Amino acid sequence: MLEVKAVSKNFSGVPAVEDVSFTVNENEYVTLLGSSGSGKSVLLRLIAGLLTPDEGDVFLNGAPITDLPCHERRIGFVQQKYALFPHLNVYDNIAFGLRHRVIDPVKDESIIRKKVQDTIELVGLVGQETKMTGQISGGQKQRVSLARTLVTEPKICLLDEPLGALDANLRERMTIELQNIRRELGVSFMHVTGNEFEALAMGQNMLVMSDGRIVQQGAPQDMYARPQDLITAKSMHNFNIFSGDDLSAQLKAGTSDKLPATKLKDARFCAIPMDKIDISDASAKTSGLSAEFLTSEFLGNKIIYFFKIENGDVCEVEDHMSLRERRELKANATYQLHWKSKDILYYGENKQLLG
Amino acid sequence: MRSNKGTWLLLSPGIIWIMLFLVAPLIMMIYVSFWTQTTFSIKPDMTVASWVNFFSSDTYFGALLRTVRIWFTVLVVTILVGYPVALYIGQFIKNKTLQTALLVTCVIPFWTSFLIRVLAWRPMLGKEGAINIVLQKIGIIDAPIEVLLFTELSVIIGMVQIYVVFMVGPIAFMIGRIDGSLIEGARDLGASTWTIFRRIILPLSMPGVIVGAIFVTVMVLGEFATASALSGRKVNLLGNIIITQVGSLKWAFAAVAGVVLTVVMATFVAIMLRIVNLRNQL
Repeated sequence: MLEVKAVSKNFSGVPAVEDVSFTVNENEYVTLLGSSGSGKSVLLRLIAGLLTPDEGDVFLNGAPITDLPCHERRIGFVQQKYALFPHLNVYDNIAFGLRHRVIDPVKDESIIRKKVQDTIELVGLVGQETKMTGQISGGQKQRVSLARTLVTEPKICLLDEPLGALDANLRERMTIELQNIRRELGVSFMHVTGNEFEALAMGQNMLVMSDGRIVQQGAPQDMYARPQDLITAKSMHNFNIFSGDDLSAQLKAGTSDKLPATKLKDARFCAIPMDKIDISDASAKTSGLSAEFLTSEFLGNKIIYFFKIENGDVCEVEDHMSLRERRELKANATYQLHWKSKDILYYGENKQLLG
Repeated sequence: MRSNKGTWLLLSPGIIWIMLFLVAPLIMMIYVSFWTQTTFSIKPDMTVASWVNFFSSDTYFGALLRTVRIWFTVLVVTILVGYPVALYIGQFIKNKTLQTALLVTCVIPFWTSFLIRVLAWRPMLGKEGAINIVLQKIGIIDAPIEVLLFTELSVIIGMVQIYVVFMVGPIAFMIGRIDGSLIEGARDLGASTWTIFRRIILPLSMPGVIVGAIFVTVMVLGEFATASALSGRKVNLLGNIIITQVGSLKWAFAAVAGVVLTVVMATFVAIMLRIVNLRNQL
């Protein structure tokens, strides 16, 4: 439905988005994961028509919309800061698009009332209609912003970090609600976020963006288990990345069974899931990668232990509390870290997954 | 209530100042307007003679109407001229430094004295002034336009030039505060540039227009110098009346004119503040 083809955008010579191509299908929830400065907001604005690409094209249902001004595109854009109109109440904010759009404005107030009321019910804002935007909470503002866009029945809805400003409880609830709302309307959502859990939880399809490029796209579970690109692996925050000249020495020390020789030869980087590493005392008979214990972080259902390995890199080990008791480790003491060969992911010179 | 003493201590200089130099003179002015005025003296015997005289005399009541008419014209023209400038500075200039620089540029005329600014219009507007010479040279007119100087028009031109900056400043400030994301949001919802101006920018800049209107009103209604310098004393505003009455020791009469002027100003400011709740907006 939405097709982005080889789109690039520079800001005074500095590339913000480079040669990006992807497709969003009908009735699909797509998440776009990227750290701040990765170009994800610029990409959204290029699609919405708030910026014009230097190169490439955007298509909607097969028709090119690259040169169409923003207000004629019928692409919904829910802004990060909500951008509610402070001089209008909740109802008028939501009715704004229906009343004032250039294409096919709704003149009949009774139709507007019906549509606005339906949307207000959908997003759970009943009873807030006459409040001014300054009188409602952050979560409600988020809903108004979403309702304001959805009521205009856009073909696709772009959400720029929609949950970024909400507290954790509300974020979790909105995660589920966003999915329900989308399913009910059958409209496609493209949700941009810097949070890997959000991206994994919400998307049927997921894109990872870094330095203006899409580095990987696919189903969230594949992304998490076998990231094809080293940047994806890093952005999952689930892997320890090993690199450098002593890579094979580190692997040989830490792997408890036989390593595959061919992959080892080509590998420049390796990723090992944090929860697949085990810790034993330095005095234990098993061999392992020597590491100095720094500190631990208790997160309720899991605990993360931080180690410093010989080359100065930090290695994190994650234990789920349901699987084992808390370990008693001494700060600045040396321990052995080890893992199994099958849990290692190998990346070559081009930072792509090997084999 | 512990801070009561401190609060009063902090407030007292302001209160004393306002009592001595605003409230007391105001009360005095109202009081004096009811005194009995004879040609060379004034007695504190209460009478409404000066009030009756003011409202029944064509000269004085006419001056009131003229004052209101000129004030209203100047107000409308300053909004019409000032708003686009403010819109340009506040919305089209993205660079904050350049915004400030442009606003400072608007204030440059204030670096010279008020009277010089007013008098500088004479060589501009006069029969052999710059405008007439230029228009004649390029052949648009054959004879000089005489209506340009020493008329109501010249007073209006002079006042607009002097006071328009007080309109531009507050409006540019309000427009500059409008978050760009609001405009993007409205555009994404399908609104055209005109609709965005009409439905978003204009209502959000109204507090600026109101503040500007109050500034201009207070200054124009009290004006006398521009009127006498640019009209050759032909256009008499209420301010000019007060000056001449005080000059000829007609205190009661001057007081009546003063009270009337104050009431007109206060009414307008009150209405403006009713329209826009500034406390919510600023």
